[in-house]
Amino acid sequence: MPTSFPYSLLLPSGRNVLVVVALLLCSLKTAAAQDLLIPMDDAQSDHLKAYGVTFWALERQIEVDWLLNYRGGSFLMISQPDLEAELRVRGVSYEVISGARTASILSEVESDAANTAVVRLEKPPRIAVYAPEQTLPWDDAVLLALTYAEVPYDMIYDDDVLGGALDEYDWLHLHHEDFTGQFGKFFSYRATPWYIEQQRQAEMAARRNGFRKVSELKLAVVTTIREYVAGGGFLFAMCSGTDTFDLALAAHQTDIVPAEYDGDPVDPDALSRLDFTQTFAFHEFRPVFNAREYEFSDIDSGPPPQPLRNPAVDYFTLFEFSAKYDQVPTMLTQNHVPTIKGFIGQTTNFRKHLIKPNVVIMAEAPGRNEVRYLHGSFGEGTFTFYGGHDPEDYQHFVGEEPTDLNLHKHSPGYRLILNNILFPAAKKKKQKT
Amino acid sequence: MPNRTLRITKLLLVLVLGFMLCSPVSLSAQNVEESQVGRFQLAESFLRAAQYERAISMLEGLYEESPGTHVFYERLREAYENVKRYDAAIALVDRKMASETAPTSYLTEKARLLFLKGDEAGARVQWERAVATNPNSPSVYLLVYRSLLQLRLFDYAIEVLEKGRSEIDNDTLFQTDLAYLYNLTSQHEKAVEKYLELLVLNQNQLNYVKSQLGGFLTSEEALRDGIQAARKGVAAEPLNRSYRELLGWLLVEDNAYREALEVYRGIDRLEREEGRMLFSFALIAADGGSYDVALEAFDEVLRRYPESVSAPEAMRGLAMMQEKWAEANQETVFDIAGNRQERNHWDEALETYQRFLLEYPQHPQFPDVLRRIGSLHQNVFYDLAAAETVLREVVARYPQTDAANQAAYDLGRLAVTMGRLEDARIQFSRLLTRLRTGDLADLARYELAQLHFYQGDFEAADSFTRAMQENTSTDVANDAIHMKVMLIESKGPDSLNTPLRRFARIQLLTRQRDYDTALHQLDDLSAEFGLHALADDMLMLKAELQARTGQTKEAISSYLQLPLLHPDSFFGAGSLVEAAALQARFGSADEALDTYQRVLSEYPGSLLIPRVRESIRLLRGDEV
Repeated sequence: MPTSFPYSLLLPSGRNVLVVVALLLCSLKTAAAQDLLIPMDDAQSDHLKAYGVTFWALERQIEVDWLLNYRGGSFLMISQPDLEAELRVRGVSYEVISGARTASILSEVESDAANTAVVRLEKPPRIAVYAPEQTLPWDDAVLLALTYAEVPYDMIYDDDVLGGALDEYDWLHLHHEDFTGQFGKFFSYRATPWYIEQQRQAEMAARRNGFRKVSELKLAVVTTIREYVAGGGFLFAMCSGTDTFDLALAAHQTDIVPAEYDGDPVDPDALSRLDFTQTFAFHEFRPVFNAREYEFSDIDSGPPPQPLRNPAVDYFTLFEFSAKYDQVPTMLTQNHVPTIKGFIGQTTNFRKHLIKPNVVIMAEAPGRNEVRYLHGSFGEGTFTFYGGHDPEDYQHFVGEEPTDLNLHKHSPGYRLILNNILFPAAKKKKQKT
Repeated sequence: MPNRTLRITKLLLVLVLGFMLCSPVSLSAQNVEESQVGRFQLAESFLRAAQYERAISMLEGLYEESPGTHVFYERLREAYENVKRYDAAIALVDRKMASETAPTSYLTEKARLLFLKGDEAGARVQWERAVATNPNSPSVYLLVYRSLLQLRLFDYAIEVLEKGRSEIDNDTLFQTDLAYLYNLTSQHEKAVEKYLELLVLNQNQLNYVKSQLGGFLTSEEALRDGIQAARKGVAAEPLNRSYRELLGWLLVEDNAYREALEVYRGIDRLEREEGRMLFSFALIAADGGSYDVALEAFDEVLRRYPESVSAPEAMRGLAMMQEKWAEANQETVFDIAGNRQERNHWDEALETYQRFLLEYPQHPQFPDVLRRIGSLHQNVFYDLAAAETVLREVVARYPQTDAANQAAYDLGRLAVTMGRLEDARIQFSRLLTRLRTGDLADLARYELAQLHFYQGDFEAADSFTRAMQENTSTDVANDAIHMKVMLIESKGPDSLNTPLRRFARIQLLTRQRDYDTALHQLDDLSAEFGLHALADDMLMLKAELQARTGQTKEAISSYLQLPLLHPDSFFGAGSLVEAAALQARFGSADEALDTYQRVLSEYPGSLLIPRVRESIRLLRGDEV
């Protein structure tokens, strides 16, 4: 009798042993494996540097899950001693969580009941900032943000763009730029050394590249950038880098530059020759032809009306998108607050009626027909335009000291810039619908 | 006299005849102009309304009717330009030129229009033709230069002006224009060369030259180019003072103080300035933080021109620079074991001040120098008796001066060091009564609080600190708050507050530099009251004393022990930071990094965290 019982089944066979050992190892690993959650809500001690550490992790092939709308857009990654040390050195808050807790968070985020989603970040984007080597007497919010967050970037300018350097990068940033060839319309500064040098350098670059006028050089630059975006590049522009980009594209067959800047007058038929089919975000706008007016076109609605021109009352609100279906705008609007204090730039807000219908509006000033932050697709790539100059300096003047971001570690306005650098790292996911 | 009357009569006759002959012509022209003026005004209003074509047809009619009226020509040409009808504008200029005897200005205009049209070669031909009309006239070159400047063709403008100088064979022409153009094109070396040429003619233009260059020489590269040109100028014209001054100014702008010293030294010698230039340069170098160069300059003033007016100030400046040098290089008079070090800048500073006293006994800075000598004896040489003698002299001989107030404060501190606490209290109290407010008054107030603390009078100490913490802008407010916290937290266990009383005495011993006794008493106190609230203060002080007496390893060990023994101590993060700093200083960067990492993980909320992060990055060699 006893021998009839299949004892052999109880004894581990060679194959069974392997399975059991594997299961044991897995369970041990699960028990020991820990993840790091970088919260991006009010618990975070340095929101801006958190983006830098995430970038640092991506550079070391550590995959990062961006938990959209979960605790302000938190980051989840596998725990590693050097990663923890880096987080501590950079002063970024983090939580070490167990595998079980990770599973619970992911299940919560993936749940259909919540407007949250997980986006896998895989590869750090190669970042180029379009800026001249010459130091100009104003700060560049993106350079400040990237430098503070310790995100590596290269600076490129006209010669590089025209030389094909954009092929090397995933992400391009433009800030306080003037693509119309009017040298920023800083007419009152025309006798200052920095202006003279800026103008001379631009004219030399134009000559070097076979153009008679700076406006022609800049047109070639925006056309190249347009092709770069069409081919799958990501463009982020701020302040006057936004409207002058479209202005230059629209004016590709006319002259909108007054004689004060290029020596010859504006084309009398300039208005009728504007070609809005070439632009990214705006249409039906009208350039400002007065050389002494510090404005490029009517795209910019200018600073808020006088009663609202006050840092205490001027603000704009972020739109909320469906995290599971509109992941790109959701990524770009991740923040720990829904309302962001306003700030003025040469281009501050975009007039809503001049925005093309296919463009996604991501933030606007409440009660006013003005858009602050927008996003759109062009060909294989995308563009994002963000109005205003410096999110932590309400009105930045020429010659002022750059903002010290050590004093603004939680800046929601700067977070919007940094959302943009991570979004090209996202793994492309098929839409559920 | 009759000749003069005759001349006046002739002149009047000519004027009357001229008037009689001209008036009929003018009157008839007036009739024609009235209708033209109306049409011209209408054309102008069309131009303002951007109705260029209508304006052009009217202006063309007007010009046909009256080709000699310059304003018709001018406005028509502008109108053509506004609508970019450059060919029509050029044809108009050609017509105008044909009727003119001096066509130079029209040639430059035609050249400009050709350039705007895009015909650069044609434009160049016209500019060359303009020059060829009168190649010996500077005004022709200036006309072409202005036309080129309008089009921002700076390099060509330079070419034209340089050609003009060589054609006319006059190197003094167009100096400022050329210098401006060279600056605009970032050829700063050549710009400076042109300004040097200007200075040859008039040395008084130096300030103008500086103001012109100042705006352009903003980058290091530009300054370097400018300096190179100025150097060549000085080599070619060594006796030109303005050249040397310009070079000196450029070197100071470039923070090249040592090289600037050579230049100012040269000016001083050549111009027999008797040290005035060197002295003013020494002050500039001292302001710029270049103490070694300032020291050398002051020294040279004294050596070369001991009788000059600036000699006394130079001697005081020299001693101050010697002090700065010693401070910057962390020089000490005694080593850790108390042995006298070799003579260094502290000794030199003391000797220089003493020389000042001997040589300039009537100088207004005498009290200040005397006070500085007292401070050196007290704080550097630890010759307390000498310090007291000197400081008392300042207080007695120069009452109501800043030097006397500072000396009184130093005397109070000296009394504390020498154990005469009552004398100290009197000094600080008098000073406080006299000054009432200000930094020195706050320092005196804090010293009084400390005196009460040393003597175990904690109530009085507390009342002083309470008064001080109200004014948080003062430097000593933090010290006062720290003392207040200690007084609150460290009382007991008996009614006499024995541990705190003994700890206060140990602090006094530390201040009196009796480190061995202090360490000994600290060990006793720790053994007796190891669980008292002061235990962490005791360990921290012990580590400090060990570090001061050269027991580095023991100090590091004590600092590292503190957070283990007293995890909730206020000193936890600070002790680890001190340990890491010692580890880094004595060559163990890895250990220092580990210790700093401990601060980050164990005390993430500490105020020292930014400093810790910076230290880690410095040790790692991060480029942040």
